Amino acid sequence: MTSPSTQPGSPSLRAIETALARAATEVPALAPLLAAFGPLFAARAELRASAPGWSGPAPALDAERFTQGVFVLAQMEHGQGFQDMSAHLAQAAQTLLPVMVQSFPAVAQELNILSEAIASGALPLEDLAAAGFGETVQVPGVGAETLAFAASELVRPFVERQAQDLLALVKDLPWRQALCPVCGNAPDMSVLRRTSDSSEFIQAHGGQRFLRCSCCASEWAYKRVSCPTCGCEDPDGLMVLRAPIRLFERADACTRCNTFILCLDTGEMVDIPDLDVAALTMLPLELQAKAQGYAPLARHPWGDL
Amino acid sequence: MPKAFLIDTTRCTACRGCQVSCKEWKGFPAVPTKQRGTHQNPPDLTHYNFKLVRFSEYLEGDTVKWYFFPDQCRHCIDAPCKGASSIDGSIIQDAATGAILYTEKTVKEDFETIRSACPYDIPRKDPKTKRIVKCNMCIDRVQANKLPMCVKTCALGAMNFGDRDVMLKLAAERLVAVQKDFPAAQLCDMESVSTIYLVADTPSKYHKFAVADASGAPGMTRKEMLAGLLAPLRKTTKQLQ
Repeated sequence: MTSPSTQPGSPSLRAIETALARAATEVPALAPLLAAFGPLFAARAELRASAPGWSGPAPALDAERFTQGVFVLAQMEHGQGFQDMSAHLAQAAQTLLPVMVQSFPAVAQELNILSEAIASGALPLEDLAAAGFGETVQVPGVGAETLAFAASELVRPFVERQAQDLLALVKDLPWRQALCPVCGNAPDMSVLRRTSDSSEFIQAHGGQRFLRCSCCASEWAYKRVSCPTCGCEDPDGLMVLRAPIRLFERADACTRCNTFILCLDTGEMVDIPDLDVAALTMLPLELQAKAQGYAPLARHPWGDL
Repeated sequence: MPKAFLIDTTRCTACRGCQVSCKEWKGFPAVPTKQRGTHQNPPDLTHYNFKLVRFSEYLEGDTVKWYFFPDQCRHCIDAPCKGASSIDGSIIQDAATGAILYTEKTVKEDFETIRSACPYDIPRKDPKTKRIVKCNMCIDRVQANKLPMCVKTCALGAMNFGDRDVMLKLAAERLVAVQKDFPAAQLCDMESVSTIYLVADTPSKYHKFAVADASGAPGMTRKEMLAGLLAPLRKTTKQLQ
């Protein structure tokens, strides 16, 4: 029986910087990509650290329904999602958009136009928040993909911070689903973590498997030998793609449903890297999995590069 | 970020997985030994055994009590062996991890001086290479972000490794838990070493050199102090030779 993890999905800035430096040294070919996304990860982490969590009374949860697979936000009245963070988005835009302009020069002009639209009020903050959750919003001069990417990055620190509070509410409840226990979204990353307990018995070395939400970065424990998409547990249907020189990075693929999820095996690691940086560093593996006909459960922003 | 080991002897079952994996990772051959009426094997640290699980047993009433002590270099924060060295660069401290490392230059060191400077009696001499050797914190693995072999191998959670502040926090938590059943439990020399032992009883019951001043040899700490004081003189002498 597994329970959602309360391990914060938001490691410190230091962990991000350390992971970026190590990744750039170990995989020099990815240095430009790390240099582009690294500052964004760092700025996001700083925003998350100062973002308000879930405000007001904690939502009343039915533990039995949760155990049956009804995630936290699905139990809100009227299907309410994360709390409105639009009031914070103007400041978030002032922080994140300049970083993104520096990091992604190809869309810098569009990002500058977006920045002006936010500052002038031409793009209402409520609409910006809606765009961050996938709704179609139009801003003249800004492409739909650019707007969706920028808006989702702007709301993400606030979503992740609220999710930390919500996840803590269900940390002791069992959750067997492959979807996020907080927001119900699909995972885009998984990690094998060493776990220790106070028992006096032999402890497994393989580590417990955690899935990580593509939307709110919550982590929850999940069956280790099982496809999160179709539930396949047939060893012949599950395969692991990995490079011989980086065995701790793997793509867990399923030949039955042709999907895969990246997996970082931290069982032997001294310092566990930031998972965004780790996922970015695993881009070659992601491309290899796609080339072999597997589709990701959820996309990373860089997944279509 | 300085690293540290926490060796929780209350969790150790003396399986010797750490001892074997250390040899395995370093490619050391087996050493001749013989049955001496104890499970401790080989009898002591050697140039091919940087890690040794020590066994001690005591009869308390009708009960035999076993004490297990996975002995290894403490990687002292201010290492007496380094202070006692007379050759620049023979004993160094890795800035990133705090590991005390013996280099090939140790062939020029006086082995007895280095060994006697260690309050834990860790250094050994390789008779073939003439180098002084000991645990190097698996520095090759740690620099590659991998756990030392002994920690990776431990199945009981006795061996722990990580950032020093994290290990100190874990040590404090475990101490509180263990003291409920073993009031004499303590952390050995935790402020001065990077290999911190949690023991459930008097340290000297585990090993003569479990802590720096529990060996029963009153001169030990004085020796350590003198080694440090005389180091500059020895260095100057070596340079003049």
